[in-house]
Amino acid sequence: MSNSTSFQFPPTYSFPPFFTPQPNSSTRLSQLQKWSSLIQSWCRHHRTYRLSLVEAIESPLFHNSTLRKRIPLSEARNILDWMAESEEKGGGGRRAEWIDGANKTMVWIWWRRPEEWAGILADWIENTGQKNVVLTVYELVEGEATMSQEWHGMDVDVMMKSLSVLVKRGKAQVFGNEGQEGVKFF
Amino acid sequence: MLFKPLDLSTALRPSLLPDETLLFVQDAVGLYEGKYKIPHYQDGHAYLTSHRVCYVAVEEPRTHSVAIDLRDIDKTEYQAGFLKSSPKITVHPKPPKNSSGSKSTTLSRSQSPRVQSSGSIVKPSASALVNATWICPICTFSNPIPSNFDPSTATATNIPPCLACGIKPPFTTVLKAAIAAAAASHEGTSINSAPQGGGPDTAQSLVSCPRCTFVNHPSLHECEICGASLSSLLEAPSSQQHRAESPAPLIQLQGSIKNTEISGNIRLSFRGGGEKTFYERLKGALVQRKWLLYNAPPVPQQPSPTTALPTNGLVSPPVRSPAPGIAGLEQRGLEARRNNEVVIGNAFEDLEALMASAKQIVTLAETLARESGMGDENSSEASAVLSESAAALGMVTTKDMLSSGSENLYLSELSRNLAEHLTDDTKGILQKEGGIISLIDLWALFNRSRNGVELVSPADFQKAAELWESLRLPVRLRRFKSGLLVVQRYGWSDEKTIQQLQDWLQELQQTPPAKPTPWDWRQFGHAITAQEAAQRFKWSVGVAAEELEMAEDRGILCREEGVEGLRFWGNHITSHDLDSSISNLVI
Repeated sequence: MSNSTSFQFPPTYSFPPFFTPQPNSSTRLSQLQKWSSLIQSWCRHHRTYRLSLVEAIESPLFHNSTLRKRIPLSEARNILDWMAESEEKGGGGRRAEWIDGANKTMVWIWWRRPEEWAGILADWIENTGQKNVVLTVYELVEGEATMSQEWHGMDVDVMMKSLSVLVKRGKAQVFGNEGQEGVKFF
Repeated sequence: MLFKPLDLSTALRPSLLPDETLLFVQDAVGLYEGKYKIPHYQDGHAYLTSHRVCYVAVEEPRTHSVAIDLRDIDKTEYQAGFLKSSPKITVHPKPPKNSSGSKSTTLSRSQSPRVQSSGSIVKPSASALVNATWICPICTFSNPIPSNFDPSTATATNIPPCLACGIKPPFTTVLKAAIAAAAASHEGTSINSAPQGGGPDTAQSLVSCPRCTFVNHPSLHECEICGASLSSLLEAPSSQQHRAESPAPLIQLQGSIKNTEISGNIRLSFRGGGEKTFYERLKGALVQRKWLLYNAPPVPQQPSPTTALPTNGLVSPPVRSPAPGIAGLEQRGLEARRNNEVVIGNAFEDLEALMASAKQIVTLAETLARESGMGDENSSEASAVLSESAAALGMVTTKDMLSSGSENLYLSELSRNLAEHLTDDTKGILQKEGGIISLIDLWALFNRSRNGVELVSPADFQKAAELWESLRLPVRLRRFKSGLLVVQRYGWSDEKTIQQLQDWLQELQQTPPAKPTPWDWRQFGHAITAQEAAQRFKWSVGVAAEELEMAEDRGILCREEGVEGLRFWGNHITSHDLDSSISNLVI
């Protein structure tokens, strides 16, 4: 969250009714969609994967200090609940996921879903010719080779989730102890 | 007699002349000419006013409506229902003035098998008051009422004193006696005619006195016991009972019956009841002769120093002395005050008398109001209220005017009444409220205009308002989502309201704010509240809140809840111009 000043908020962010839950269902849907986009782009800009709700509602994301408007905790939960629903159920396409279940204080923000990360990883392996090469997870996340890649500095849990997707697809194998995992791509 | 064309108000009721008051309304009435039904005039409303009998058909009321001036009516007759024949009221026209009495008699005889029209025998105005006596409250002597006594124009000062004791009677006593006597003479006619139809021999021989019921010999013209005149009763046998055939044949008429000269009698057939009250009120109206009042000068005139004393009915000529200078002015003032005292005293003595002298009282009250509030802004308002109340005395439909049990008729009349009240451009109720008013506000306004008399119950009011749709009146009742009921012009729609709101929002996007705003006012404009909307469109705040929520419901507005309360904005959340800029931010 070091470079928060450079984040360009969408114009709707300075529209006061944006911070009030709308009773009209179609307006509400657009409102939720816009919030979802805003949260995703905010988290992407700040390379945030897990969002602490208590911190977030004090951050500029949910608190517009120029308008002196904020999203209260309950409303933030509603928005994230909506994001966590799949699109078939009228939600935001599982762009969020509660980490601590019913407590609803920590949330994954999937500006890229693990499946998407898995695809990107696989492409990268292919393009750099590293098939059948064993890499450590630390190497993947913090290594010099991945400095230019989008997932550099990624949350290790997110990386593990993405890798497990690849494992399920039969494109990778994860081995080793916890904290020292290695991965082999096929 | 002439069928006069009738002007209808927006609510399809007869539009009343100045000073004309509505006395009674009855539905399911048919119109006959002689024995013949008049086509298209078989199902309608009969309106009895102080000046006219109006008929408005239910189907095509604009083309099928006529009026008969009461002044053209010679006498009326009541006929009870028999088997399938509905009760009827027969209206006999006055004979034409230029033709002689005998001629009119033969004319009417050729028209219908009816015997001797009353025109040649009974003088209408004289017969009404032939029996009139008033009992002196001091010595109980029965004095005759002077033949030229007219209840509507007579005043307190020109009544002759009691013949026995020489004391002037109270005005109301004479007035009531005159009205009662006139009513009784009509009743006497109809009562006495009944047995004569059955057995003419016995009825011819004996005549019962209407006052003391003593049975007199038919050749006598005055009662043996009390001296009451029997002349009107002696003529009674000439009026014959009409036996109606039902169904009666239809009369053949070319074109409209408006402006048609009708020489025979007109009959109103009451298929839905109400004939008795109608008949009584009709008799009363014929006796009161309010139409004479139309051209009568307002009575209590304030004398002004520049003009000569008006020929005032109240100030009797001998009292007036041509005193010059200040003394004369003072004397005039004194006279005027005494005059006012008499008028007020008489009017409030008795309800009947108050009704008779309502016009005087209103004029007097207007004068007083003008004087007390000279140059004040309140004066115009006060006089407006007064004249309104005078109008309200006659304009409204009260339950009293309709026969009991006809709840539907009451409601439909009330409904029309309301529609008239609303669309009346002189009052401009709807314009003042921005074309929309909540039903509760209207109820309060309407009842206030009735001066606290004959108030309408909320339930009746709502039922009447719900009838607008079915009666095709130019106003409509609308229910908001929250259940609030409002009244609008018929042509008004949500789209028009939304158009107004959008125009306003666009305007706000062009006007820079008074103080700098953290948002881009060119893009978002400003927030509007229900109060602001109410002010701008002259709505009531409740209506404005409902209209804004309606617009929100349609996705035109969106809300902002904050410490300042609920505010509305143009819906820039769903609008598409922002979508593109946001989607650029997301991957």
